[in-house]
Amino acid sequence: MKARSFRYLIGEGFKGAWANRLMSLASVGVLVACMVIIGLALLISQNVSRALGKLEQQNVVMVYMKDYSWALYGDEVEKVAEGGDENGIKPDSYVIHNEEEAKALCDKIAALDNVESVEYISGEEGLESIKKNMLEGQEQYFAFLDEEFGNPLSASAKVTMKDMGAFTKTVEKIKAIDGVESIKAQNDLAERINSVKRGVLIAGIWIISILMIISLVVVSNTIRITMYSRKLEISIMKAVGATDAFVRIPFVVEGVLIGVVSAIIAEGLLYFCYRVATETISQTLGTTDIVRYSEMAFYLLGVFLVIGVLAGAIGSFIMIGKYLRREGSEFSAI
Amino acid sequence: MSENEIDIIEQTSADNKPVIEFKGVSKTYPSGTHALEDVNIRINKGEFAFVVGSSGAGKSTFMKLIMREEKANTGTIMVNGFNLTKMRRKSIPKLRRTMGIVFQDFRLIPKMNVFDNVAFAMHVVGANKREIRKEVAKALAKVGLGEKARSMPNELSGGEQQRVGLARALVNSPDLIIADEPTGNVDPNMSYEIVSLLTEINKRGTTVLMVTHDHNLVRDFKHRVIMLDSGRIVADNLGGDEQ
Repeated sequence: MKARSFRYLIGEGFKGAWANRLMSLASVGVLVACMVIIGLALLISQNVSRALGKLEQQNVVMVYMKDYSWALYGDEVEKVAEGGDENGIKPDSYVIHNEEEAKALCDKIAALDNVESVEYISGEEGLESIKKNMLEGQEQYFAFLDEEFGNPLSASAKVTMKDMGAFTKTVEKIKAIDGVESIKAQNDLAERINSVKRGVLIAGIWIISILMIISLVVVSNTIRITMYSRKLEISIMKAVGATDAFVRIPFVVEGVLIGVVSAIIAEGLLYFCYRVATETISQTLGTTDIVRYSEMAFYLLGVFLVIGVLAGAIGSFIMIGKYLRREGSEFSAI
Repeated sequence: MSENEIDIIEQTSADNKPVIEFKGVSKTYPSGTHALEDVNIRINKGEFAFVVGSSGAGKSTFMKLIMREEKANTGTIMVNGFNLTKMRRKSIPKLRRTMGIVFQDFRLIPKMNVFDNVAFAMHVVGANKREIRKEVAKALAKVGLGEKARSMPNELSGGEQQRVGLARALVNSPDLIIADEPTGNVDPNMSYEIVSLLTEINKRGTTVLMVTHDHNLVRDFKHRVIMLDSGRIVADNLGGDEQ
């Protein structure tokens, strides 16, 4: 197709949208509504992920090691009653013998795929931090144990994970490392976070898919009405030898135009609604940790434009294609 | 070899070759109606032919087959060098650009003025603005509407509207004009004017095929008359006397 024909057809598309402005306006209205709902769904899911992200960061796994104190207080102590040191413990009855070995174990954990960070906590540090959190009087119990047998706490590692989705798997992997005695993990929280995330994702996909289909149907219908109102022009075009592409382009331009205009209006409207909503929420709940619109503005405009252009182009393309196949070449009787 | 190439190779330039040729053409619609049966006809370049017949005789189907709006069930149809029986859908625009079509109901776009209505046919074939200005003015002058280029269709009489339709059919300089009852919606005086115009165009070498019910026109303009009845050609009078 020649460039001047293309320019002419784009102009025809604009003229078409203007000539059918009432109908175009109706579909812009519905498209804007769909886009605003999609935008809200995206903003809500973004806020939920941010809140969950905070929870995830707090969710650390404590890994306890098989060191001297484990042999001292664990079942092993009875098995090694004879020989060994003053407590009857042989060095081969525990795996981690010194800080170096404990740190090497931390490195092994850190080398796992899903591990974000590993912080080594010696038995002494562990005891100190427990003492700090104890009520007065309770700490005497630990002091007694410490004096009688030595520190009851084994060396440990504070592990944070990257992806809560692979939480259970990673815990299994850590457990399998030689020298790991036990793991204290908040499996419940991880699972709950995951299920909320999955729920938000599935709901988001459903909402977006349904609204995408609605957008497509709305634009198709507008184009269909435009098309029938321009039946005469189409019949003349076909009679004088217009190709299908020539007939189709103005309608596709019209559809895309409707989509683009809707995207711009939806962006402005959502900005306004979201600002009002977040101001109210932060005033009522006193929270300031809400995703700001400016962080998402370009992303949302991009999403709206993609939805608008796709709905406009695909909707009109399908409609006019259907028309051309069924009735398009019949021009002698319209 | 692609279908397009076949179409182009089969296009002929020699004047003695027929513009329209039907060989053993039959058309039955899916509903079972036999519209045409074993039609054989040849219309040469530069001829003017009336197609007459009562309602349901097969005139519309005959014209639809020429314009490739319908496809024949059997037989071969050649129009302007295109083999219509082998033609694929996407090649139809090429065929249509070699013909100008005049409709009974004028088919003018109400929101466009006379100039734009005629220019519309040139936009479709990708003509540039200068060509459009020149050719539209020429076509309007041919039909005697040079002064009415800026008028809107509703400001014109039926005869004038049909002349705009004729200018639109002429503007791309087609080899063949197909006129489907062009005088059906105009008064008798204007009918004579329209057919006189078509005759003028024909004298300059364009083949004209016109469907009509108007016996007076057929009698007064001495052109070839093809008469259809129940899907068959029952008379083909090259002399122009009505059967």
